[in-house]
Amino acid sequence: MLLLPKNAKLIGQGITGGEGSTALPWMLGYGKRIVAGVTQGKGGQELEGVPIFNTVKEAVGAVGEVDGSVQFVPPIHTKRAVEEALEEGLKFVLIGAEKVPVRDSAYIYALAEKKGASVVGPASVGIVNPHRRLKIGSIGGGDPDRVFPPGNVAILSKSGGMTSELGLLLKHSGLGVSWAVGIGGERIIGSDFGDFLIELENDKDTKATLMFGELGGTYEDRVADLIKTKKIKKPVAAFIAGEFTMNLPSEVQFGHAGAIIEGERGLPSTKRRLLKESGALVAESLDEIPDLLKEVIK
Amino acid sequence: MILYEFEGKELLSSYGINTPKGEVLRKAQTPRLKTPLILKAQTLSGKRAEAGSIKKVEKEEDFKTSLKTLLGKKINKEEVTTVLAEEIVDHDEEYYVSLSYDTASRGPVLTLAARGGTDVEKRESLSFPVSPLADTPPKIKAPAGFEKEDFETFTSEVFPKLLKLFFDEDLTLLEINPLVFDKDGKHFALDAKVKIDDSALARHPAWDFPPRSVAGHTPTKREVAAKKIDEGDHRGTAGSAYFDLEGDIAVLASGGGASLTAMDALIAAGGKPANYTEYSGNPPKEKVEKLTKIVLSKEGINGLWVVGAVDNFTDIYETLLGFIEALRKVEPKPKLPIVIRRGGPRDKEAFEMLRKVKDFDLHLYGEEISIAKSAEIMTKLAKKYATST
Repeated sequence: MLLLPKNAKLIGQGITGGEGSTALPWMLGYGKRIVAGVTQGKGGQELEGVPIFNTVKEAVGAVGEVDGSVQFVPPIHTKRAVEEALEEGLKFVLIGAEKVPVRDSAYIYALAEKKGASVVGPASVGIVNPHRRLKIGSIGGGDPDRVFPPGNVAILSKSGGMTSELGLLLKHSGLGVSWAVGIGGERIIGSDFGDFLIELENDKDTKATLMFGELGGTYEDRVADLIKTKKIKKPVAAFIAGEFTMNLPSEVQFGHAGAIIEGERGLPSTKRRLLKESGALVAESLDEIPDLLKEVIK
Repeated sequence: MILYEFEGKELLSSYGINTPKGEVLRKAQTPRLKTPLILKAQTLSGKRAEAGSIKKVEKEEDFKTSLKTLLGKKINKEEVTTVLAEEIVDHDEEYYVSLSYDTASRGPVLTLAARGGTDVEKRESLSFPVSPLADTPPKIKAPAGFEKEDFETFTSEVFPKLLKLFFDEDLTLLEINPLVFDKDGKHFALDAKVKIDDSALARHPAWDFPPRSVAGHTPTKREVAAKKIDEGDHRGTAGSAYFDLEGDIAVLASGGGASLTAMDALIAAGGKPANYTEYSGNPPKEKVEKLTKIVLSKEGINGLWVVGAVDNFTDIYETLLGFIEALRKVEPKPKLPIVIRRGGPRDKEAFEMLRKVKDFDLHLYGEEISIAKSAEIMTKLAKKYATST
């Protein structure tokens, strides 16, 4: 399950590190969802009133069953941290680290499939739901209300920065968000646009989805398939970035690890064409997105 | 990072994959190997045969002339500094083999095709997902045209070695085109296209491949300088992706997705970017300072656009402070219009600081103006500046 329940409780792995300890008060300030932290060697300490344990096992033993884990673990140790969480029976993990080796990402995806668990990321900026006062990860920084007013549009984005930018765009047009999710811009990710869209079909707060895609990979193509085969019926508006890269040498990585065109794969023009053909609303510029959405959710 | 053929082949041999006897040549010299030989210019772009990078040398006395037609030449916009000389392996069939990561199955995938060679994209091929959890290779079958004996040798002998190499060395691509078998049934990789995963560098202390450009491109001075900013400093990233372009508006963008969005928006507004680059992940101000100087070192620019989305964790004050510090050090003093569109943590302090800066033509915007709108403003100001100077 990707759409965490109203009173979700989570642990934070690597929460005592630089990024984790910055994000922790931000998360707690929005809604008290983090009930324990895990950092090997820091067990027994407290951070922002949250007890820290050496292992996931100890944490879960002390605070009881949790809905998942949010990770602030360095990329090279991410695989081990996910293994630990899944071995303890956790069914949801959000990975914040960028630049996780592709071999590890593929392993993590396969392991989560095998265990029936959901993984978001690597390189996920987080998830926020203003209706449920749920925020995990660094999404929206210390003031998510600034960019994510409650509403009925779900945002799914490969880019962390653009997740907030799109929230702001909706806010300025009198719209708001049900969920905002950074799915991560890496080559192999645990949950793609399609995985979230399938769950959003049954989400009462969501009337339409706005997705931010970019060059590289095939996750956008899958959305077109899902719309075509009627697995997704709620309206989807899409913005695909990176058109300008088509005049540059191919096989270059632009920003995110997954933003790379290889042969004919990953061209932004192909993604736009497939999405248009499927019936998705494809925006030519960011500024026309609110009008596209207002048409379908009025 | 993509490897040159000779580097890829060294990796292949170290995992027990046969490659033709070869010799790496960097200057006009006589090879130890005997003719007939194949000379292969070491460039990163594909389609090397069509581009004229491959020469067959039949006679000893023709060797130097042939070598000279490759060394020092530009092929596909890449300068040839290295030539691989190889013995010729007699063979009949040619096969295409690759291991890579597929975003559709979200895992490794093996692709096989018979009759490989230069036009493999046009052949029918079979793909098989490989589980990263399994200890044994997956069951595969031969694509049409793959000789039975060759396929048996491939599955029993070659494939397990390729898998071990692919995983143990953190490759993102391992492509052999063609794989051939000689008259004794012994396999040979006649070519190798190998990409290593830059994200896995930390667990491969032995990797010491010299820096290189991308296929079909010789890097500019600025591209080389920008890439150096991140070396040895893992706090955030700045300049790892930098490209010089033809236009007159310098771009200092933030964020992977936002930088792409901004470039598209600038072009849509009629502006012409002088470069692409981005910094993100909360880099220290020194990195932003260095990147700013590189972006501004370009001649003939009529505007500078500092643009990003509303950031989640990049410290806007710190990064823009680095920007201003660079601006103050640039000679001659930049008079061009500078449009800043930023938001995120500590942006109020950042704008307070920027409003006090009076010695540059700064145009400050926060989240109240969209990226697209600020692209229009930048384009207009740059045009005005171009006509006034």
